[in-house]
Amino acid sequence: MSAYLEVEGLTRRFDRTVAVDRVSFGIERGGMLALLGPSGSGKTTTLRLLAGFEQPDDGLVRVEGEDVTRADPVARRFGMVFQHYALFPHLDVGENVAFGLESRRVRGTELARRVSRALGAVDLAGYERRRVGQLSGGQQQRVALARALAPEPRVLLLDEPLSNLDPALRERTRREIRDIIRRVGITTVLVTHEQDDAFDLGDRVAVLRGGRLEQIGTPDELYSAPAGAFVAGFVGRASSIPVQLLGLANRGTRVRIEGAEWEIDAEPSSNGHPLGERLLMARPESLRLTPPGPGAVPGTVTARRFTGPAALFQVRTEAGATLEVLGQPTAAAVGERVGIMPSRRAGGGIYLFASDDR
Amino acid sequence: MGVLLALVLAWLVVYPLLLVLVEGVRGGDGWTLEYVRAFLGRATEWRALWASIWISLATVALSALIGVPLAFLLARYDLPGARILGTLVALPAVLPPLVGVLAFLFLYGETGFVSLLVQRVLGLTDPPWRLQGAGAILLVHAYSMYVYFYLFTRAGLATLDASLVEAAASLGAGPRRMLWRVTLPLLRPALTGAALLTFMTSLASFSAPYIFGGGFRVMTTQIVATRLNGETELAMVETVSLTLVALLALALLRGSRADDSLAGGRKGAAPAAVPIRRPWLRVGLAAAGWGLAVVLLLPHLTLVLVSFVPLGTWTIEPIPPAYTLQNYVTLVRDPVRARPLLNSLWLATVATGAAVTVAVAAGILSVRRRVPAGRAIELLLALPWAVPGTVFAIALATAFSVHAPWAGRVILVGTLWILPLAYLVRDLPLTSRPILAGFRALDPALDEAASSLGAGRWRALRRVTLPLLRPALMAGASLAFVTAFGDFVTSIMLYTYDTRPVSLEILGSLRQSDVGVAAAYGVVLMVISAAVFAVGAERGTGG
Amino acid sequence: MSARRWRLAAAAAAAVVSTACGSCAGDGRIPVVIYSPHGRDQLTLLEHAFEAGRPDVDVRWLDMGSQEVLDRLRFERVNPQADVWFGGPTTIFDRGLRDSILAPYRPAWARRVDPRGVGPDDAYFPVYRTPAIIAFNSRLVPRSKAPHDWDDVLAPRWRDKVLIRDPVASGTMRAIWGLMILRGMRTPGDTAPGMRWLRRLDGQTRSYTLNPAILDQRLARGEGLVTLWDLPDILISRAKGMPFDYVFPRSGTVVIDDAIALVRGAPHPDAARAFIDYVGSAEAQLLAARKVYRLPARKGLSPDSVPDWVAEVERDMVVARVDWATLARETTGWMSYWDRHVRGSGATER
Ligand SMILES: Nc1ncnc2c1ncn2[C@@H]1O[C@H](COP(=O)(O)OP(=O)(O)O)[C@@H](O)[C@H]1O
Ligand SMILES: [Mg+2]
Repeated sequence: MSAYLEVEGLTRRFDRTVAVDRVSFGIERGGMLALLGPSGSGKTTTLRLLAGFEQPDDGLVRVEGEDVTRADPVARRFGMVFQHYALFPHLDVGENVAFGLESRRVRGTELARRVSRALGAVDLAGYERRRVGQLSGGQQQRVALARALAPEPRVLLLDEPLSNLDPALRERTRREIRDIIRRVGITTVLVTHEQDDAFDLGDRVAVLRGGRLEQIGTPDELYSAPAGAFVAGFVGRASSIPVQLLGLANRGTRVRIEGAEWEIDAEPSSNGHPLGERLLMARPESLRLTPPGPGAVPGTVTARRFTGPAALFQVRTEAGATLEVLGQPTAAAVGERVGIMPSRRAGGGIYLFASDDR
Repeated sequence: MGVLLALVLAWLVVYPLLLVLVEGVRGGDGWTLEYVRAFLGRATEWRALWASIWISLATVALSALIGVPLAFLLARYDLPGARILGTLVALPAVLPPLVGVLAFLFLYGETGFVSLLVQRVLGLTDPPWRLQGAGAILLVHAYSMYVYFYLFTRAGLATLDASLVEAAASLGAGPRRMLWRVTLPLLRPALTGAALLTFMTSLASFSAPYIFGGGFRVMTTQIVATRLNGETELAMVETVSLTLVALLALALLRGSRADDSLAGGRKGAAPAAVPIRRPWLRVGLAAAGWGLAVVLLLPHLTLVLVSFVPLGTWTIEPIPPAYTLQNYVTLVRDPVRARPLLNSLWLATVATGAAVTVAVAAGILSVRRRVPAGRAIELLLALPWAVPGTVFAIALATAFSVHAPWAGRVILVGTLWILPLAYLVRDLPLTSRPILAGFRALDPALDEAASSLGAGRWRALRRVTLPLLRPALMAGASLAFVTAFGDFVTSIMLYTYDTRPVSLEILGSLRQSDVGVAAAYGVVLMVISAAVFAVGAERGTGG
Repeated sequence: MSARRWRLAAAAAAAVVSTACGSCAGDGRIPVVIYSPHGRDQLTLLEHAFEAGRPDVDVRWLDMGSQEVLDRLRFERVNPQADVWFGGPTTIFDRGLRDSILAPYRPAWARRVDPRGVGPDDAYFPVYRTPAIIAFNSRLVPRSKAPHDWDDVLAPRWRDKVLIRDPVASGTMRAIWGLMILRGMRTPGDTAPGMRWLRRLDGQTRSYTLNPAILDQRLARGEGLVTLWDLPDILISRAKGMPFDYVFPRSGTVVIDDAIALVRGAPHPDAARAFIDYVGSAEAQLLAARKVYRLPARKGLSPDSVPDWVAEVERDMVVARVDWATLARETTGWMSYWDRHVRGSGATER
């Protein structure tokens, strides 16, 4: 039983860079996969490889078991929403939406019916004769979506669908897009560099870095069990500090961290040598502030930022690392000397990775 | 595909020129440097070449001095009638080459209207000036070529992002500093483009130095004189020397990428026109503008006037004593005389269509698909621009007067097709410049969107790319059409009985001293050219 | 909507092309293409007259300078378009002969013309005689005050009053220049006196005009008063109302044999031969003399049929002895020297 859309070992090189490096994943029918990664990580290239605008140097793309790796964009029947929408400025809204249907030889009243249905689906019923330039950003976004969906493609591809919207509109549009796509039930791949968008829209998220697929999983899996320092740092907040692995303890792992010794609830990241240098990554809520003392890493508060009921403290350790710690707003003032300890609350938030992982 | 197009273009553009080069170093029996040495050894040749160069440089300077301030005045300031003025001052572009020069003679010649007027007003016994030599050539050049600077600067100003200017103002830049540090640098692509075009046109200019040069020789007239004297090989060497100068100029200025100024994408809003508040300044500027427009229109008006003068009636009178419609009647009544007009129409249409097609193909291959041959293609398309029309005519006539298919040479001389081919070559830079720039300004995602929506290449081209390129297509096509329609220097060498064009008919009438009929042809040429430009501009920009 | 407009534009373009090309195809008559510098008036005249006698032939002419005819025939050698080369000094026909663009043809009237003007191996035959003359603006210069010989033109009164048709581009002018050099020669090859004379003329010259129309215009408007030119052109202009008159130089003028020839590889040689036969016939010679002031080359025309002006010319004209062989051989070099070293240098000498 294979997935609806399958990608295997997809590779694309440009002159010097390997933009997409042996990427593999699969999506079930109706599933939504978000490709997440910083700028330049190869997301757009992956999407363009899927759409057929780029030819891979290596690898396979299969949809419904059919190999479409070398098929041209027309034959694939994939719909795409472009980052800047790419609406045809010389056509009105209705003509834009009709464009793909006309390519599929839909004519006459059937055409009009399907155009208005597509526009209705994105809440733009009656907008047929509007000029594209008269629409707001959000409306253009939805026209682009309607246009891509109208010919009933097998897969929907979205490139940074929200990057052109201001923050106020962003949240709402995100919800709208999700609802529309869910309703249509189409298999979707979307690209974003915003964790919130990825987590909100994708039922699974693939994290890309330098063209490589770092990890793929549900948002929960990515957050609670990052496969590497990069994912841990990119998905959610986490600060890092070098540590010495001392050995296993009864409830976890023992590490030395700038003179202090901690017992933490984390796998020792056994790849490489069993003991020695490691990189510790901690989410702010998994650390706490204490008065300086034994067992605590000493440091100086360099900044304090309020985030609702708690505050985020930036603490500079004596060795020069910066750790982010969540605490009571009154726990410390800027410039105060403090100690840092792992939070007493059980359950993750602190990870150990090989020290050369970053 | 890309390689194929590059090869075809090389065959059309470079190959004939190379053959000319070869002719220059080949004597009756084998290779010889005799003619090259003859060229290098003669002071007159160097003088002619130098004259071509300095006249062209001076033309660039003069045209810039007129065109740039005019564009600023009309684009930036809110003058009464600025819109109409803006159109009128572009009219020198439609003055047909041969009769345009004649109009100057009637105006500023020793017994021309203006000269006589000045003579009377100042009470002189002799004409105030002589329309002859370098000064006269420069006058005609500046008149007809400032339009390039004017149009390019206007286009540049229109695409100038207002926010940049505002940013500079907010940083405390005064008007002068703003001009020198912000506006002009931003206009640089437009200005370089205009300078290059002006330089090339001036270098290739033939009619003005031919009629007004007198003893003053530039290379184009020198080539003709040498050929007329039967020294064909020397003429070839002269041709090569002129081409080298042009190529050098192209190479020097291309480094600064003069492209993308005319049809470039409009990013921000253009700055709003500045209202002029002081009333006397407003009136003064408006009067100056309209005065200038009248001066610029004088040659056109003269041509119209002359076209109504019956043969032989206007001799020593300052103003024509009699008028008639006969000259126009002759044009339409006699089918033999109406033919050249039809010929020019279809020749120009075919050449324009082909040139647009080639430019679009080049855009798809070079800009869209980025084929490896793209750079070569673009260079080949720009090249004919650097090669004077006379040179190309000679080159084409040389290349296609031999039947040797294995060497890529077939006989086209004397056939119907040599002239459209020549026009096509000359039109290539005119269509490809705006169209390639248009392709660059086009978001490639639009094309991808079309194909992801199931549109094949042809449908994507027809429904998306071409409609979006319309301004560039129209600009290129109208320029190409008008150029081919009025062409003289290329036609004179290549026309046949079946393809004799209007310009040759004008020349024929002039040879008969039928100035009235020549002027009537000129007026028809002018009106059609103006109409094509107007349609191009309106269809190009209008919704 | 915009698609419809595109289609409309395409249809319009197609219509233009097809209407124009519809007339490319002939009407079944044999086309004879003539390259000639004789100008529309004369060519139309002969075209119609000839076609009246040969309704199966369609005469088509292209009007161009005689040097251009040569150039064009040279380019077209591989694919000849023209049938007849009609007009131009025999010296240029000689060059054409060397470039093998002429086919021998001995017209029916061959024995009626002076054999000295006939090309080697019947390559070309003279049809008109074109004398060079001194012309002047008759409204501004009374005939008695006009220069009466070549040397008179160098008089101070004509300083800056002489207009000259660009000599490099014109067969007539080349012949006059040749005459000036030849008559100055004391020893063979001694061009210095002739060039000195031409330099002095250059000092008198107001401007060189590159176009006969402009020459006419400027002479008529009095921008210059005197010019050296050929008889038929001045007579035609005068007939059209231009205020021109002329004199024959007393010391003798050069008379150019104006020739006609069959083009090698002519597409329609038979019709072409018929046309050549016609041009030299008594009928056509008289027609050209009467209507467009061409001096017949044909001898033995009955005295009462020739127009008065011909008789006048025959009476007044003094013909200089010219060594045509030298002229044919040397003119290119002389003109090249003049163009480079004499043109424009006279003003500094005077
Ligand atoms: N057409 C191209 N030519 C050369 N390099 C490219 C091209 N497209 C992308 N790249 C390079 O590939 C890498 C991945 O780019 P991209 O897929 O656009 O990343 P993302 O969309 O994640 O920002 C980048 O280093 C980029 O510079
Ligand atoms: Mg991207």
